[in-house]
Amino acid sequence: MAVDEGSRNYEHPAYDYMERMPGLSLAMTTVDKVLEWSATNSLWIFPMATSCCAIEFISSAAARVDIDQIGSVVRPTPRHCDVMIVAGTITVKMAPRVKKLWEQMPEPKWCIAMGSCAISGDFYRDIYSVVPGIDTVVPVDVYIPGCPPNADQVLHGLERLQAMIRSDRAGGGMPREERPETAKMINPENRRVGDPERDPSLTDAQHDASRNLGVGANSDRTRDARPIGDIAEDEAADVRGSVDDLEEGA
Amino acid sequence: MDIEDYDPDADLMALNMGPQHPSTHGVFRIKLILDGERIVKAVPYPGYLHRGVEKLCEKLTYVQITPIFDKHDYVAPMTNEQAINMAFEKLLGLEVPQRAKVLRTILAELQRIASHLLWLGTFTLDIGGTIGGGASLMMYTFRERELILDLFEALTGCRFHYNTHCPGGNRHDVPEGWETVVRHVMDTIEPRIDEYEAICDSEIFLMRTEGVGLISPDLALETGQSGPVLRASGIDHDLRRDAPYHAYDQVQVRVHVETAGDCLARYKVRVAEMRESIRLVRELLGLLEPGPIVGSKPIKSLVQFKASGGQVYVGIETPRGELGTYLVGGGDQRGAAPYRCKIRPPSLHAMSVLPYVLPGHQVSDVVTILGSLDPIMGEVDR
Amino acid sequence: MSAWEALRERFDLPEEPSAEEPPVIDVSRHVEMAAALKEFGFTMYVTVCATHFPEEAPKAKKGEDPPPPIPEHWEVATVLRRPGARSETFAWRVSVERPVVPTLFPLFAGADWQEREQYDLVGVIFEGHPDLRRLMMPEDWDGHPLRKDYAIDTRVHPWR
Repeated sequence: MAVDEGSRNYEHPAYDYMERMPGLSLAMTTVDKVLEWSATNSLWIFPMATSCCAIEFISSAAARVDIDQIGSVVRPTPRHCDVMIVAGTITVKMAPRVKKLWEQMPEPKWCIAMGSCAISGDFYRDIYSVVPGIDTVVPVDVYIPGCPPNADQVLHGLERLQAMIRSDRAGGGMPREERPETAKMINPENRRVGDPERDPSLTDAQHDASRNLGVGANSDRTRDARPIGDIAEDEAADVRGSVDDLEEGA
Repeated sequence: MDIEDYDPDADLMALNMGPQHPSTHGVFRIKLILDGERIVKAVPYPGYLHRGVEKLCEKLTYVQITPIFDKHDYVAPMTNEQAINMAFEKLLGLEVPQRAKVLRTILAELQRIASHLLWLGTFTLDIGGTIGGGASLMMYTFRERELILDLFEALTGCRFHYNTHCPGGNRHDVPEGWETVVRHVMDTIEPRIDEYEAICDSEIFLMRTEGVGLISPDLALETGQSGPVLRASGIDHDLRRDAPYHAYDQVQVRVHVETAGDCLARYKVRVAEMRESIRLVRELLGLLEPGPIVGSKPIKSLVQFKASGGQVYVGIETPRGELGTYLVGGGDQRGAAPYRCKIRPPSLHAMSVLPYVLPGHQVSDVVTILGSLDPIMGEVDR
Repeated sequence: MSAWEALRERFDLPEEPSAEEPPVIDVSRHVEMAAALKEFGFTMYVTVCATHFPEEAPKAKKGEDPPPPIPEHWEVATVLRRPGARSETFAWRVSVERPVVPTLFPLFAGADWQEREQYDLVGVIFEGHPDLRRLMMPEDWDGHPLRKDYAIDTRVHPWR
């Protein structure tokens, strides 16, 4: 196996000892380093490009900023790719397709949410047909904020993903950017509709909630108008509750 | 794919294209019924990017709506802002000062160049593919597009999604020395358009586009085509000249019309429009005289907007065609938000011609025809 | 002679065209109006806009009895354009208490998707349309989002 020993910069205390042992000269660390180098520098991208961010994403692979320089190639099929970049708003009609394409990608795979629509839904968040953040559908590793993010920020996001992969392979692991409300949405305790283990009372409660929404978007807000202090307390209790759930789940 | 379309004994095959397909310019699904390689029937399914913008407009006030309109046609946000703000101005009876009119015209023409550059790059990418050489022209056109985006960034602070128009004028006046840079950029781009024209020497490009995707003048008019698609079919119609708005009545717009109606004609019309836009920008820079850029009555309170209950339609010529806004005012009863805001997207009509045009073509021509119509799915679905 | 003058007597239009109020005509003459305009050169289909007006009680003036409530109704506005030199648009409205309006598809193929979209979002049925399916929303969607009694943040199952 042709391994370039000269370029190694990782000095483990046991390394010298292993080098002196016949047969162990192909040290595992070096192999690991090669794997890490190849994994981080050949991140092939599957563009889940739907709207405005798609144009900036094309710009990041065009004349001024070029993601090819870190070995990332844009391939239009999920089966060749390692990273899915979700660039743009995902609607309720589109979300099952995103999930299906994500499942078609081979492991190991990563997902980058590009732009505020993919991160949280932006100002379309409360609209009937829009998914409030792609992390409710697929797990997201890196968020690139902006509306849309500039082309160089896409490059920066990819570099961050590389750092994350390196850190993961070294066993360190990088703390994932978790948000309480997101964790609540994808809480495995809450089974989705169609799951046989789902509590039927949850479905009923959800249907009741949607039936009682009333006329107009603001009517439900006026109906349970309460003093501001009460609301703040309730919300705080909600947040505390979700954090407790998280800790229990972990 | 519907199960009833599958018929193992028949000669026809159903092929699903999209919604995630690299050449559908966004998320668009089209179901093709094929006889071998030939298309017998095509059924388009849009709506994968329906973001409920018209519903959102009913909840917001007039001033808040402009940034949302940026996101419809994300390749030409400037003209989108102008379309909705002109509808507001007509509904509320606001006057736009001369300097803002000229500035809006310059921005619209610059945006037209940027939009057509992006179209040219992605169109050749669709035809040639990354390996077939289409990527080279894309690199060139994106290089020039960045120059125009830099101009917009100097003016508004954003690469796109500018939010620079407001009812009654513009928010950002030009920075010092901007005109000189614009002239310089125009001088840079003009000779490079001649370089793009070298693609017409390519036998492959001509074979892929000539005679492909014919739209007859009758079909174009009947399906409500507008913009370059209509002009490539031989209809001499351009709102900039025929129903002038902004400062278009102060300059002479030369409209380029092609009679062939195929993909090559649409290419020629757009390239000619780029040249015309460069000429217009140069001419309009001379008309940019000092003065205010917002109306004499600045919009300070929402009370001004409340007393408008009419219904207006305003259509302007964007890079893709006639973008119209049908606005139903809220009036006294319903507050300072439009009661209903209907957008007339040119791309929706361009896409609706597909079931008429596609039958008889090969599968590979779908990509060419789709690309030549220049659809933006954010605008089709809204 | 402008289109307005030519059609004024036939369709009982007001004296002068108003910039802000397209004329309202009876729904039975909707197709006739479109056909007459098409003959007059308005060959380009621009748009159709359906608006939902829920039942509404107007505010009473001081010292007067409250006026009778306005029943639920739909307004469908159609815009046509005459292409070419000195291009102009012509808009008219029909007002209906049941959301059923005759289609303009036989006259203008461009009405196809626009009418499907209005059916999808506002729930106005275009009678005679050969293929009136949903255009924007999924086919199993419940309700018509642009009606006024449809909340903007209506719960969609897995997400809200």
